[in-house]
Amino acid sequence: MEATQRQLVPLVVGILLIGICFSHASGESPFDEWEKFLQEKVSFRGFVENTTGLSVSHGSHFFDTSNRFIMNRFTIQPEFNVDMTDWAKFFISWRFVKEPRYNAEAKSRKQSVTYFPAAPVKPLSNTFYDEDSFKPWEAVLDLKPHDQLKIRLGRQFISWGETDGIRLLDLINPQDLTFSPPAAPNLFNLDETRIPAWGLRTLYTIQPVSNTILEFFALPGGFEQAKQRVDEIVGSNDTGDLKVRYGRWSAHPETRLTFLGRNAFGNLFANSIRPACSGAAPPTSISCLVIPSTSRELPDAGDSWKIGSRISHSIGKLSFSLGYIWGFNPQSTDMVFKVKGVNCSAPVPGPCLAGTAPSVVNLRLVNDRTNIFAGQFNYPVADLFGLPVNTAVRGEVAFIPDKPYNISKYPGAFGLKATADPKHPDGTVEKHTLRYALGFDRTTLIPFLHPDDPWRAFNLSFQIFQNIIFNHEDGIHPFSTAEKIKRVSTTFTFRASTGYLGDTILPDVFVGYDPEGYWSANPSISYVPPGNEKIRVSLVGALYGGRNKFKSFGFFDEKDSVFLKMRYQF
Amino acid sequence: MAFSLVLMCLALPVPKTLAADPDLKPGDTIGPNNWQRIQGMVGENFLNRIKAGHTIQIKPSKTYRALKEYADATEKYSGKVHLGSNGELLGHVAGQPFPKMDLSDPQIGQKLAWNFFWRWLGDDYKTGGAVKGGKIIRSAIEKDGAERRADLVSYFLFPRTRYILDPKPVIPGYEHIDYMQLRVDSYPRDAAGTTTLEIRYADPNRADDLYIYIPSIRRIRRATTTQRCQTLAPSEFNLDDINSFNGKITDFNYKFLGEKKILANLSQEHLPFHRKQGDYLPLDEKWEVVDTYVLEITPKDSNYCYPRKLLHLNKMTFDTHWTLIWDKRGEYWKEQFGMFTPVKLADGREVWSVADVVIVNVQNGRSTIVTATRSYNKGYPASMFGLSTLESVMRGGSIE
Repeated sequence: MEATQRQLVPLVVGILLIGICFSHASGESPFDEWEKFLQEKVSFRGFVENTTGLSVSHGSHFFDTSNRFIMNRFTIQPEFNVDMTDWAKFFISWRFVKEPRYNAEAKSRKQSVTYFPAAPVKPLSNTFYDEDSFKPWEAVLDLKPHDQLKIRLGRQFISWGETDGIRLLDLINPQDLTFSPPAAPNLFNLDETRIPAWGLRTLYTIQPVSNTILEFFALPGGFEQAKQRVDEIVGSNDTGDLKVRYGRWSAHPETRLTFLGRNAFGNLFANSIRPACSGAAPPTSISCLVIPSTSRELPDAGDSWKIGSRISHSIGKLSFSLGYIWGFNPQSTDMVFKVKGVNCSAPVPGPCLAGTAPSVVNLRLVNDRTNIFAGQFNYPVADLFGLPVNTAVRGEVAFIPDKPYNISKYPGAFGLKATADPKHPDGTVEKHTLRYALGFDRTTLIPFLHPDDPWRAFNLSFQIFQNIIFNHEDGIHPFSTAEKIKRVSTTFTFRASTGYLGDTILPDVFVGYDPEGYWSANPSISYVPPGNEKIRVSLVGALYGGRNKFKSFGFFDEKDSVFLKMRYQF
Repeated sequence: MAFSLVLMCLALPVPKTLAADPDLKPGDTIGPNNWQRIQGMVGENFLNRIKAGHTIQIKPSKTYRALKEYADATEKYSGKVHLGSNGELLGHVAGQPFPKMDLSDPQIGQKLAWNFFWRWLGDDYKTGGAVKGGKIIRSAIEKDGAERRADLVSYFLFPRTRYILDPKPVIPGYEHIDYMQLRVDSYPRDAAGTTTLEIRYADPNRADDLYIYIPSIRRIRRATTTQRCQTLAPSEFNLDDINSFNGKITDFNYKFLGEKKILANLSQEHLPFHRKQGDYLPLDEKWEVVDTYVLEITPKDSNYCYPRKLLHLNKMTFDTHWTLIWDKRGEYWKEQFGMFTPVKLADGREVWSVADVVIVNVQNGRSTIVTATRSYNKGYPASMFGLSTLESVMRGGSIE
């Protein structure tokens, strides 16, 4: 069925294109008509880029990444635009990526993994980051059957929301965080990290003057091949699932939960099958250890159906939208695994019950469909109480009813930070969750910082993100660590950019701050030669820190890196 | 400071006296040996280039006739047009607001400004539409001659002053909008697809709306329009330099300084004009003597970047030929000139369009050239100037 669908899409697109082009080409000889058509209606664009990354952090025994190259990513992306008729346009692009893997990274991964019982571990394949398929990266047919109706068919991107650098409502397309460091829009922007999806999008303008627009989209998802996710914080050394491996930007795994010298991550979710381990006396047997084993059912995040609709409208200076998204939430930090059962690590239960073998908890990704009620707005403020503010305010909100979370009991048994919560035997709980972001953008003149052009503005942007869990319960935590999620979590971001010497030197910095004690910084400086608008060379940093390695930006604090990015546009 | 003010005063075009040689004839050549003949008829920086060796030739003046529909609307509606207490335009429907110019009228400056704002610009137009390739070509030139190019297209719609296309004179529901502009970048690739939608409202107290679609995040961003002075780098324009003067009319004071003959080019021969790489000077374009009104613009907001700007308005078309700008220290800052060229409407009638526009920052030595010839009355629907258009832009693609 899936294979048939994949064959059907190019066939339908091909028939449509041929039909439209033949309806356009009539009268003159086909050769002349096509030559004229290609000259006047077809444009070719694209870019070639090379990004080289060097880790500058001290590394750890899990991410033995100190002082070595971590990335050499070569990308070429050709793009064709075809303005076929007034009512039909076609855009197609391909993305080809070659990124050699490094032996040091593979060795590091092998060395870092500990298993009980021992099991073979493999690094990522040498072609893991490559994109070498001739399947179009983006291929959209834009139809305008009526001035007020726009239809887009094909492999496409749909972006809702108002935020910058960090996604909130921008969940319709999945994001590939395997190659890009998190919260680093100056290295790879959102458009470079989203994964396109086949589908349909329509925009019907009900009332043009007030921008009253009804939008609908449907992305079947089944046309996409699921890519192994390695950006998650579930690593193979923690879970024993050989299909899940650490990627370059995998978050730091939980290493604080040790029992008898073994990783007790599984004890966060379930008790051993040995009854004595639940007794009052502190156990000392290995049989009280619980090993996690994760699994997931494809379609995975981003690979399943998504549909959504929204209505946009403007009243005076206020523009706003209200919408609804039904689909799987692809954010890696939202991954929740549910306990599906506990069994013995030995083929029969005897050794576990006898106290000689640990238990295994089977955890499966919660593949629930997610309902998201969405809203967004923007509003320019010129003056406030007579004071010039000159700031554009923007915001977005997502209400996610019954959002699942993993939950454990704090403090845990055996002296562990947390262990299974008897009130929630499947290790999960559902809570209504509200997420919102507010952003403030303004341009500011700082003449003393701009002696060459006092009127070249600085673009300043401040954002606040909050995640609020209604009927919050103590013990809610991300799947991968034992750090609690509070009722209200907050992140601030700040961005500043400008241009010097006629915008040939372009500094930009994106900073993230979590008041719980974590931070990220993504500075960059780009050079565009004054005599060639096609070339851009950027030096970019991705730096992280915090009070521990198990939450927020602290996940990546041993992955500080610098990058040199060279881009040629054609 | 005092010295600067003296220089500024010397640079002032004194009415009726600065046309150094009113007897310039077609065929005359002006160069380093006789530059005095055109002193005061061109910008100071341009004159310095002539002093340094550049030569220009004088050609017969090109005349245009007002479009009949515009003239009819002027006759029909201008009788009821008057100024409000804050300089706002009241009673205007279409056409030139103040066709009868009494140069001794104390409000003549404000009236000239409104005549400039409501000059004939078609019912809609595509800037770049009459350039080969159908796009605006913008070259940003550094002091050392290094150049960067950008291509873009802009579309204007005047929904409440329509002369030829139905519905006229106003598209129902759009009575409160003076104009709407879409601007789409198409080259280089990373900028391609960046699209702005700007809406100018008739309400003098309502700021423009500005939406920007940013391809790198595929989202529409809102921007404030009250900070109009920032450089639109890498060009030397700012928001209010577009079309010589793009400010909200009621935000400024106007003073009529007199009539003046200047040098302009109303029939540019080459698009874009021929020039040396790295230099803005047009090489083989000829110039003609044109009668203009000189209008001084000063801001009501003391923090505004241009304390003084001079427009030289063509007496017939009310387009500007030379725009001269001074900074807060009273020093000469920017010099802008626009050439024009005849274009045809769909029915074959000849009208005029801006062709190449040059702005030179005489303080930092950078300049920007824009080849921006328009095609008029394309029949764009009002729905094109909406957020759904921004949502559907693709890199390098057309939105028509």
